Amino acid sequence: MPLTLTHMPPLHWAVAGTGIAAVTLCLLFLANRRLGISTGFEDMCSFVTALPYFRRSSVRSGRQWRLPFVAGLLIGGFLSAVLSTGWRPIWDLGMLDQALALGPIGKLAWMFVGGLFIGFGTRLAGGCTSGHGIFGLSNFELPSLITTISFMAGGIATTQLLYRVVFHWQG
Amino acid sequence: MMTLLYVLLGTAFGFILSRSGAADYNYIQAMFLFERFQLYGIIGTAVAVTAPGVWLIKRRGRTAAGRSIEIELKPLHRGNILGGLLFGVGWSIAGMCPGPIFVNIGEGKVYALAALAGALVGAGVFGAIYGQIQQWFRLPPLALGTGDG
Repeated sequence: MPLTLTHMPPLHWAVAGTGIAAVTLCLLFLANRRLGISTGFEDMCSFVTALPYFRRSSVRSGRQWRLPFVAGLLIGGFLSAVLSTGWRPIWDLGMLDQALALGPIGKLAWMFVGGLFIGFGTRLAGGCTSGHGIFGLSNFELPSLITTISFMAGGIATTQLLYRVVFHWQG
Repeated sequence: MMTLLYVLLGTAFGFILSRSGAADYNYIQAMFLFERFQLYGIIGTAVAVTAPGVWLIKRRGRTAAGRSIEIELKPLHRGNILGGLLFGVGWSIAGMCPGPIFVNIGEGKVYALAALAGALVGAGVFGAIYGQIQQWFRLPPLALGTGDG
Protein backbone atom coordinates (compact mmCIF):
# COMPACT_ATOMS: atom_id res chain seq x y z
CA MET A 1 0.00 0.00 0.00
CA PRO A 2 1.67 3.30 -1.05
CA LEU A 3 1.85 6.29 1.29
CA THR A 4 -0.60 9.14 0.61
CA LEU A 5 2.31 11.60 0.57
CA THR A 6 5.00 9.87 -1.51
CA HIS A 7 2.97 7.34 -3.53
CA MET A 8 5.75 4.91 -2.56
CA PRO A 9 5.84 2.01 -0.06
CA PRO A 10 6.88 2.95 3.50
CA LEU A 11 10.18 2.22 5.23
CA HIS A 12 10.47 -1.30 6.61
CA TRP A 13 8.93 -1.38 10.11
CA ALA A 14 12.16 -2.61 11.68
CA VAL A 15 14.09 0.33 10.20
CA ALA A 16 11.46 2.87 11.28
CA GLY A 17 11.18 1.38 14.78
CA THR A 18 14.95 1.39 15.26
CA GLY A 19 15.15 5.00 14.08
CA ILE A 20 12.45 6.04 16.56
CA ALA A 21 14.33 4.22 19.33
CA ALA A 22 17.58 5.99 18.34
CA VAL A 23 15.96 9.44 18.65
CA THR A 24 14.33 8.48 21.97
CA LEU A 25 17.64 7.27 23.41
CA CYS A 26 19.51 10.35 22.13
CA LEU A 27 17.00 12.60 23.92
CA LEU A 28 17.63 10.78 27.19
CA PHE A 29 21.39 10.30 26.89
CA LEU A 30 22.30 13.70 25.45
CA ALA A 31 19.64 15.91 27.05
CA ASN A 32 18.14 14.05 30.04
CA ARG A 33 14.65 14.28 28.48
CA ARG A 34 11.94 11.64 28.33
CA LEU A 35 10.25 11.55 24.92
CA GLY A 36 6.70 12.90 24.99
CA ILE A 37 4.91 14.96 22.37
CA SER A 38 1.34 15.53 23.54
CA THR A 39 2.55 17.65 26.46
CA GLY A 40 3.51 20.08 23.69
CA PHE A 41 -0.21 20.95 23.46
CA GLU A 42 0.07 22.27 27.01
CA ASP A 43 3.18 24.25 26.11
CA MET A 44 1.26 25.96 23.31
CA CYS A 45 -1.81 26.58 25.46
CA SER A 46 0.42 28.09 28.15
CA PHE A 47 1.13 31.05 25.87
CA VAL A 48 -2.52 32.06 25.56
CA THR A 49 -4.16 31.08 28.85
CA ALA A 50 -3.39 31.86 32.48
CA LEU A 51 -5.27 28.81 33.84
CA PRO A 52 -3.34 27.26 36.76
CA TYR A 53 -3.05 23.92 34.92
CA PHE A 54 -0.87 25.60 32.28
CA ARG A 55 1.27 27.38 34.87
CA ARG A 56 2.73 24.17 36.34
CA SER A 57 6.49 24.19 36.67
CA SER A 58 6.75 21.05 34.51
CA VAL A 59 5.05 22.88 31.62
CA ARG A 60 7.29 25.90 31.86
CA SER A 61 10.49 23.85 32.06
CA GLY A 62 9.40 21.57 29.21
CA ARG A 63 8.78 24.39 26.74
CA GLN A 64 12.53 24.92 26.23
CA TRP A 65 12.97 21.54 24.61
CA ARG A 66 9.53 20.41 23.50
CA LEU A 67 8.77 23.40 21.28
CA PRO A 68 12.04 23.10 19.28
CA PHE A 69 11.42 19.35 19.01
CA VAL A 70 7.90 19.97 17.68
CA ALA A 71 9.31 22.53 15.21
CA GLY A 72 11.60 19.71 14.06
CA LEU A 73 8.59 17.46 13.46
CA LEU A 74 7.18 20.11 11.11
CA ILE A 75 10.52 20.39 9.31
CA GLY A 76 10.85 16.60 9.06
CA GLY A 77 7.43 16.32 7.42
CA PHE A 78 8.23 19.23 5.11
CA LEU A 79 11.58 17.71 4.03
CA SER A 80 9.91 14.35 3.49
CA ALA A 81 7.51 16.03 1.04
CA VAL A 82 10.17 18.14 -0.69
CA LEU A 83 12.44 15.12 -1.17
CA SER A 84 9.71 12.91 -2.68
CA THR A 85 6.90 14.36 -4.77
CA GLY A 86 7.58 17.99 -3.87
CA TRP A 87 5.68 20.03 -1.28
CA ARG A 88 2.07 20.81 -2.17
CA PRO A 89 -1.16 21.30 -0.23
CA ILE A 90 -2.77 17.85 0.23
CA TRP A 91 -6.43 17.11 0.88
CA ASP A 92 -6.35 13.36 0.08
CA LEU A 93 -7.61 11.14 2.88
CA GLY A 94 -7.35 7.69 1.27
CA MET A 95 -9.88 5.25 2.69
CA LEU A 96 -12.00 8.02 4.19
CA ASP A 97 -12.42 9.55 0.71
CA GLN A 98 -13.68 6.20 -0.56
CA ALA A 99 -16.04 5.69 2.38
CA LEU A 100 -17.32 9.25 2.76
CA ALA A 101 -16.93 11.88 0.05
CA LEU A 102 -16.33 14.82 2.39
CA GLY A 103 -15.58 18.28 1.01
CA PRO A 104 -12.91 20.54 2.48
CA ILE A 105 -15.20 21.92 5.22
CA GLY A 106 -16.35 18.41 6.11
CA LYS A 107 -12.75 17.20 6.39
CA LEU A 108 -11.76 20.12 8.59
CA ALA A 109 -14.77 19.48 10.85
CA TRP A 110 -13.99 15.72 10.97
CA MET A 111 -10.38 16.41 11.95
CA PHE A 112 -11.33 19.07 14.50
CA VAL A 113 -13.57 16.55 16.28
CA GLY A 114 -10.79 13.95 16.21
CA GLY A 115 -8.42 16.59 17.58
CA LEU A 116 -10.74 17.37 20.50
CA PHE A 117 -10.62 13.72 21.59
CA ILE A 118 -6.82 13.65 21.13
CA GLY A 119 -6.21 16.83 23.10
CA PHE A 120 -8.56 16.04 25.99
CA GLY A 121 -7.75 12.32 26.08
CA THR A 122 -3.96 12.67 26.08
CA ARG A 123 -4.12 15.27 28.85
CA LEU A 124 -6.40 13.12 31.00
CA ALA A 125 -4.22 10.04 30.38
CA GLY A 126 -1.01 12.04 30.89
CA GLY A 127 0.58 11.15 27.57
CA CYS A 128 0.23 9.63 24.11
CA THR A 129 1.84 7.05 21.86
CA SER A 130 5.29 8.53 22.42
CA GLY A 131 5.39 9.32 26.15
CA HIS A 132 3.34 6.34 27.34
CA GLY A 133 3.54 3.94 24.39
CA ILE A 134 7.22 4.15 23.54
CA PHE A 135 9.07 5.67 26.48
CA GLY A 136 6.78 4.50 29.29
CA LEU A 137 6.55 0.89 28.09
CA SER A 138 10.33 0.84 27.50
CA ASN A 139 10.82 1.99 31.11
CA PHE A 140 8.31 -0.61 32.43
CA GLU A 141 5.91 1.97 33.90
CA LEU A 142 2.50 0.59 34.94
CA PRO A 143 0.47 3.76 34.11
CA SER A 144 1.92 3.58 30.59
CA LEU A 145 0.90 -0.05 30.14
CA ILE A 146 -2.65 0.75 31.29
CA THR A 147 -2.85 3.82 29.05
CA THR A 148 -1.42 2.03 26.01
CA ILE A 149 -3.89 -0.84 26.32
CA SER A 150 -6.68 1.75 26.70
CA PHE A 151 -5.83 3.84 23.65
CA MET A 152 -5.27 0.80 21.46
CA ALA A 153 -8.69 -0.49 22.61
CA GLY A 154 -10.31 2.89 21.91
CA GLY A 155 -8.76 3.08 18.44
CA ILE A 156 -9.58 -0.51 17.49
CA ALA A 157 -13.19 -0.18 18.67
CA THR A 158 -13.73 3.11 16.82
CA THR A 159 -12.18 2.06 13.51
CA GLN A 160 -13.91 -1.34 13.60
CA LEU A 161 -17.24 0.39 14.29
CA LEU A 162 -16.72 3.05 11.60
CA TYR A 163 -15.35 0.86 8.82
CA ARG A 164 -16.95 -2.55 9.43
CA VAL A 165 -20.36 -1.42 10.71
CA VAL A 166 -21.06 2.13 9.49
CA PHE A 167 -19.15 2.21 6.18
CA HIS A 168 -19.47 -1.54 5.34
CA TRP A 169 -15.81 -1.42 4.28
CA GLN A 170 -14.68 -4.25 1.98
CA GLY A 171 -10.89 -4.33 2.53
CA MET B 1 23.24 24.63 21.09
CA MET B 2 20.75 22.39 22.90
CA THR B 3 17.89 24.05 21.01
CA LEU B 4 19.54 23.06 17.75
CA LEU B 5 19.91 19.49 19.02
CA TYR B 6 16.17 19.34 19.80
CA VAL B 7 15.29 20.69 16.36
CA LEU B 8 17.56 18.12 14.67
CA LEU B 9 16.21 15.20 16.73
CA GLY B 10 12.65 16.37 16.00
CA THR B 11 13.45 16.60 12.31
CA ALA B 12 14.81 13.04 12.24
CA PHE B 13 11.79 11.81 14.22
CA GLY B 14 9.38 13.64 11.92
CA PHE B 15 11.03 12.36 8.75
CA ILE B 16 10.86 8.76 10.00
CA LEU B 17 7.20 9.13 11.05
CA SER B 18 6.43 10.61 7.63
CA ARG B 19 8.04 7.78 5.68
CA SER B 20 6.98 4.88 7.91
CA GLY B 21 3.18 5.05 7.62
CA ALA B 22 2.77 6.35 11.20
CA ALA B 23 1.58 9.68 9.76
CA ASP B 24 -0.60 8.08 7.06
CA TYR B 25 -4.38 7.82 7.53
CA ASN B 26 -4.65 4.50 5.67
CA TYR B 27 -1.92 2.81 7.70
CA ILE B 28 -3.52 3.86 10.99
CA GLN B 29 -6.89 2.44 9.94
CA ALA B 30 -5.19 -0.73 8.62
CA MET B 31 -3.57 -1.17 12.06
CA PHE B 32 -6.90 -0.84 13.89
CA LEU B 33 -8.58 -3.14 11.33
CA PHE B 34 -5.81 -5.76 11.86
CA GLU B 35 -5.08 -5.65 8.12
CA ARG B 36 -1.44 -4.50 8.28
CA PHE B 37 1.40 -5.40 10.62
CA GLN B 38 3.38 -2.20 9.78
CA LEU B 39 2.44 -0.01 12.77
CA TYR B 40 2.58 -2.90 15.27
CA GLY B 41 6.04 -3.69 13.93
CA ILE B 42 7.17 -0.07 14.27
CA ILE B 43 5.93 0.39 17.86
CA GLY B 44 7.10 -3.09 18.88
CA THR B 45 10.59 -2.55 17.45
CA ALA B 46 10.82 0.92 18.99
CA VAL B 47 10.00 -0.47 22.45
CA ALA B 48 12.21 -3.56 22.01
CA VAL B 49 15.23 -1.37 21.14
CA THR B 50 14.49 1.53 23.53
CA ALA B 51 13.98 -0.69 26.61
CA PRO B 52 17.52 -2.13 26.81
CA GLY B 53 18.90 1.30 25.85
CA VAL B 54 17.07 3.02 28.72
CA TRP B 55 18.24 0.25 31.06
CA LEU B 56 21.86 0.79 30.04
CA ILE B 57 21.63 4.59 30.34
CA LYS B 58 20.01 4.28 33.79
CA ARG B 59 22.71 1.81 34.87
CA ARG B 60 25.38 4.29 33.78
CA GLY B 61 23.35 6.90 35.65
CA ARG B 62 24.77 9.89 33.78
CA THR B 63 24.12 11.72 30.53
CA ALA B 64 26.84 12.13 27.93
CA ALA B 65 27.76 15.41 29.62
CA GLY B 66 27.88 13.80 33.06
CA ARG B 67 24.61 15.06 34.58
CA SER B 68 22.73 12.52 36.64
CA ILE B 69 19.85 10.90 34.77
CA GLU B 70 16.44 12.05 36.04
CA ILE B 71 13.35 10.48 34.52
CA GLU B 72 10.10 12.14 35.52
CA LEU B 73 7.61 9.30 36.09
CA LYS B 74 3.99 9.66 35.02
CA PRO B 75 1.37 9.29 37.78
CA LEU B 76 -1.04 6.35 38.01
CA HIS B 77 -4.71 7.35 38.25
CA ARG B 78 -8.18 6.62 36.85
CA GLY B 79 -7.55 9.05 33.99
CA ASN B 80 -5.09 6.60 32.42
CA ILE B 81 -8.02 4.40 31.34
CA LEU B 82 -10.67 6.95 30.31
CA GLY B 83 -8.10 9.36 28.86
CA GLY B 84 -6.50 6.51 26.93
CA LEU B 85 -9.87 5.39 25.54
CA LEU B 86 -10.78 8.96 24.47
CA PHE B 87 -7.39 9.49 22.87
CA GLY B 88 -7.79 6.18 21.00
CA VAL B 89 -11.14 7.37 19.61
CA GLY B 90 -9.45 10.56 18.41
CA TRP B 91 -6.47 8.67 16.93
CA SER B 92 -8.92 6.56 14.91
CA ILE B 93 -11.06 9.50 13.73
CA ALA B 94 -8.13 11.72 12.71
CA GLY B 95 -5.81 8.91 11.67
CA MET B 96 -2.99 10.63 13.53
CA CYS B 97 -1.63 10.75 17.05
CA PRO B 98 0.05 13.90 18.41
CA GLY B 99 3.48 13.57 16.72
CA PRO B 100 2.00 12.89 13.26
CA ILE B 101 -0.36 15.89 13.62
CA PHE B 102 2.74 18.10 13.37
CA VAL B 103 4.39 15.90 10.73
CA ASN B 104 1.26 15.99 8.57
CA ILE B 105 1.10 19.80 8.80
CA GLY B 106 4.72 19.92 7.61
CA GLU B 107 3.91 17.53 4.76
CA GLY B 108 1.20 19.90 3.55
CA LYS B 109 -1.88 17.96 4.69
CA VAL B 110 -4.16 20.95 5.21
CA TYR B 111 -6.73 19.12 7.35
CA ALA B 112 -4.06 18.37 9.99
CA LEU B 113 -4.28 22.06 10.97
CA ALA B 114 -7.87 21.39 12.07
CA ALA B 115 -6.71 18.36 14.08
CA LEU B 116 -4.16 20.59 15.84
CA ALA B 117 -6.79 23.25 16.53
CA GLY B 118 -9.07 20.57 18.00
CA ALA B 119 -6.25 19.15 20.12
CA LEU B 120 -5.39 22.57 21.55
CA VAL B 121 -9.05 23.25 22.37
CA GLY B 122 -9.35 19.77 23.92
CA ALA B 123 -6.27 20.35 26.05
CA GLY B 124 -7.60 23.80 27.01
CA VAL B 125 -10.95 22.35 28.09
CA PHE B 126 -9.11 19.79 30.21
CA GLY B 127 -7.06 22.53 31.85
CA ALA B 128 -10.21 24.55 32.52
CA ILE B 129 -12.08 21.71 34.27
CA TYR B 130 -9.07 20.18 36.03
CA GLY B 131 -10.25 21.39 39.43
CA GLN B 132 -13.68 19.78 38.96
CA ILE B 133 -12.50 16.34 37.80
CA GLN B 134 -9.29 16.12 39.81
CA GLN B 135 -10.76 14.37 42.82
CA TRP B 136 -12.79 11.73 41.00
CA PHE B 137 -9.94 10.75 38.67
CA ARG B 138 -7.43 11.07 41.56
CA LEU B 139 -5.26 13.36 39.45
CA PRO B 140 -2.16 14.80 41.12
CA PRO B 141 -2.26 18.29 42.70
CA LEU B 142 -0.93 21.07 40.50
CA ALA B 143 2.70 21.94 41.20
CA LEU B 144 2.82 25.56 40.13
CA GLY B 145 6.07 27.34 39.43
CA THR B 146 8.17 29.14 36.92
CA GLY B 147 10.11 26.04 35.89
CA ASP B 148 13.38 27.85 36.45
CA GLY B 149 16.18 25.88 38.01
